[in-house]
Amino acid sequence: METYIFYILAGAILIFALLSVTTRRVLRAAVYLLFALGSTAGIYFMVEFLFLAAVQLLVYVGGVVVLIIFSILLTSQINDRLEQPEWLKVMATMLLVVVGAGLSLFVIREYDFNISETAMTAPTVSDIGLKLLSYGPGGYVLPFEVISILLLAAMIGAIVIAKRMKEND
Amino acid sequence: MSTEGLILFFIAGVLMVGGGIIVSNLVAPRSTNAQKLDPYECGIPTIGPSWMQFRVGYYLFAIMFLIFDVETVFIFPWAVVMKQVGMTAFIEILIFFVILGLGLLYAWKKKALRWE
Repeated sequence: METYIFYILAGAILIFALLSVTTRRVLRAAVYLLFALGSTAGIYFMVEFLFLAAVQLLVYVGGVVVLIIFSILLTSQINDRLEQPEWLKVMATMLLVVVGAGLSLFVIREYDFNISETAMTAPTVSDIGLKLLSYGPGGYVLPFEVISILLLAAMIGAIVIAKRMKEND
Repeated sequence: MSTEGLILFFIAGVLMVGGGIIVSNLVAPRSTNAQKLDPYECGIPTIGPSWMQFRVGYYLFAIMFLIFDVETVFIFPWAVVMKQVGMTAFIEILIFFVILGLGLLYAWKKKALRWE
């Protein structure tokens, strides 16, 4: 059963990734990217990395793709189709992709993966929460609060830049 | 549900929905006109293409949404252990919220939330 689900998800990722790079409408590419990222979250759920899966859905599917779609909707070329690329370029890209994939496969094959005897358990959400909130040794409460400052800086930066953009209009 | 049952359920679902669409396509009478192809059938022919540029104003809201979206990622594990950790967790998240609240306050003051 799990094997079937894995192949369905892997197939979905591959198909949507391919569609995303081959479509000539830029908005459609973003929507295909959405499905590819969603299928990746499915794989995370399958290997029981629940927190990572939730983050993938929340931030990538819910946030980053929305931002990409918004920035596409703002461009004036949304109605245009991309030009059909030249054959030479397509061939060169394919060659590079094959070489890159071959190199990665070669490196992975060289590494002998040791299967550990103890069953690996993914950290649960409550494990992460306890670590994140503990102020004892090995706790992450300071990074946790620093993150809020980072987000604050990001928000102020975005507002400053966007406001200046509006004034220039 | 067993594996075979689940696969059968999937196939039956695809067949029933697909069969309905195919049969209605074969049986239904056809009429076509230009307005039927409009993205929204509201009676008035559209002016220009429907793939159009949107206002910059939307973008700021998208960015603010993204920042609070990332914030949710950290509230999520906090919410799971909140009862277990108790008061400390509450104070820690309060500091977190106050710092982020400053950002919202800044946006409000700069009139970034106002629709112009």
